[in-house]
Amino acid sequence: MPPKTSLFHFRSTLPPLNPAQNVLYNTQIPRTTTFSIRATTSPFTSTARMEKRNKGPKHIIDPRITQIRYHLSHPLTPRPLRFSRDRYLRHWTIHRAWLLFLRKQRWNQERELERQYMSMRDACEALRLLDENGNSVKDEEAGGKGSDAGSLGAKGREVGRLYRAAMNKRGVWDSVPIEYARSQVDFPGREGWNHGWTR
Amino acid sequence: MASIKPSIRHLNTCLRCVRRSANGNAALNGTSVRLLSSSAAPREEAQVQVQTQPNPMDKWPPLDPALVDNKRDERRLIRKEGIQPIGSRRRRAALRTSPQVPFEQLPYQCFQEARKFLLEDRQEKIKQIETQRLRLNNLLAQDPAVSGGTEAKEARIRSMRNYLNELVIWADINDPLVKKKFEDGEGDMNKPVYRYLADQKWRKYKRLILEQRIYQFNIVPDILPALDPVADVDLAFGRRKVAPGDFVDSLVSESMPRLKVQTFDQGEKLVTVVVVDADVPIPEKNGFTYRCHFIASNIPISPTQTSIPLNQLDQTRKVFQKKAADKNIALPWLPPWANKGAPYHRLAVFVMEQSEAKALDVSAIGKTKRDGFVLRSFMDKLKLTPIGITLFRTKWDENMAGVMQRAGLGDQVTVEFKRKRVEPLPYKRRTERMR
Repeated sequence: MPPKTSLFHFRSTLPPLNPAQNVLYNTQIPRTTTFSIRATTSPFTSTARMEKRNKGPKHIIDPRITQIRYHLSHPLTPRPLRFSRDRYLRHWTIHRAWLLFLRKQRWNQERELERQYMSMRDACEALRLLDENGNSVKDEEAGGKGSDAGSLGAKGREVGRLYRAAMNKRGVWDSVPIEYARSQVDFPGREGWNHGWTR
Repeated sequence: MASIKPSIRHLNTCLRCVRRSANGNAALNGTSVRLLSSSAAPREEAQVQVQTQPNPMDKWPPLDPALVDNKRDERRLIRKEGIQPIGSRRRRAALRTSPQVPFEQLPYQCFQEARKFLLEDRQEKIKQIETQRLRLNNLLAQDPAVSGGTEAKEARIRSMRNYLNELVIWADINDPLVKKKFEDGEGDMNKPVYRYLADQKWRKYKRLILEQRIYQFNIVPDILPALDPVADVDLAFGRRKVAPGDFVDSLVSESMPRLKVQTFDQGEKLVTVVVVDADVPIPEKNGFTYRCHFIASNIPISPTQTSIPLNQLDQTRKVFQKKAADKNIALPWLPPWANKGAPYHRLAVFVMEQSEAKALDVSAIGKTKRDGFVLRSFMDKLKLTPIGITLFRTKWDENMAGVMQRAGLGDQVTVEFKRKRVEPLPYKRRTERMR
């Protein structure tokens, strides 16, 4: 029976688009052996309905489904690196170099930040010791020592005027919402509201 | 079609011939490689035959076990020379055809860039080492009054030396060849990097197990109040290696063991080896005491000189040494023994450093009593510091009687320990109050 074999070998790999072919799945129509073979190997055999119907001797898994499952599943742990000796050593060398590079980069960034901070600090110190005439005074005569930047020294208001202005925090939050003064967290602080706060 | 086919077949056979002859044997024979030409071959062959008388041994030149890649050569190698080929046939074939590029010159761009970066870093480190050396020398030459007192100066010197040692290690730690050599066990233990790597490896596995055994078998505090092993000690009786805490058959432990002591810091040391049994039962007191099984002193060890064969200690030196004072063994080996029925005995092998590498008087140590030996006082008296430890266990077995007979302990063979019967409490009728 030549037509049967030819149908089996050259069947389409895609699901039947032609609605006329769906007649195949209609159980009312008496089936020939050709139809049953097509049904077994057709793309829809893995549906529950068809599986229940065909309890064949061999459970056939469509290779396309295997492929789909293979590509959709992602294991939590990545595949371990399996290298030859030299390849591993090369990998290790590159890894070490990369770590060293990161380390140096971080070190440089920290040094840069430190330099900027020290520079700012020196500028403020110079301002603190600056008097009205642009001369710097001695440390004992200048004010603004310790935590209170606004305190006056022996020479009074004349020394460190610019320093006091620079230390002034007034207007810092003008363009920024005051909520940003405190980092936003999930829960309120221990003291709910600072009643003593004034601007 | 029909005319092409045979020619391709010829070509194939020809290529096969060429490939066969390229495996080193044919090339050595002087057979010229001829590809797809047949004009002057007979004359050449004739010339070759005229020039050299064929030596039968020349036909089978020596084979390289790393490069043989066909079955016949492998068989020849195994049968004639008794050498197994190295690696898989696939690997050997690949090696034979691959150009032998040294590891550092492998043409991979990222790898080469990484190497360049690491080399730059190494140069920086070397420069830092030089600076640090200079600073250290300056500090050493400095007057202690300037550097803030003797103690402050010494502290600074110590910290600068530590930093210098670290720099020396950091200069080489990123070298892949150093890593490769260390993994192959070819590292030179005189160099700080290899010592550092070996130390790390020891601390990651073997030392953890050793610590666990010390804890499980209560070596601390039964024998010593505290212990910080800094040297790797391997114990073996003949060829039988003993993991820390193993049971050793009495016949095996009848002869002296050999020790392999790997130290990880620079310089030569003089060590004393002491073997203590911590579980000698005293039935009268219903308790236990110690016994010393072995003491040997003035044994030189260094990172490269690791082996201490206890059984050869005095034998190898007898030829050169005449004086009795130069002996090493103070107390000769007493085979570990345990009575029948007694619980197992823990035998701890201590390797102790002698202070300032000073030699001890062996004959004076030889007067130490074996029974009731207390390691703590012994250590304090001789100013010893424990650097390494390993332990094994022994108990009564079928060979123990013979071992004890030969050790002159014949009277102990028949002694058998039994558990004291605990008298049951008199029967008491359960009353309502007891519930």
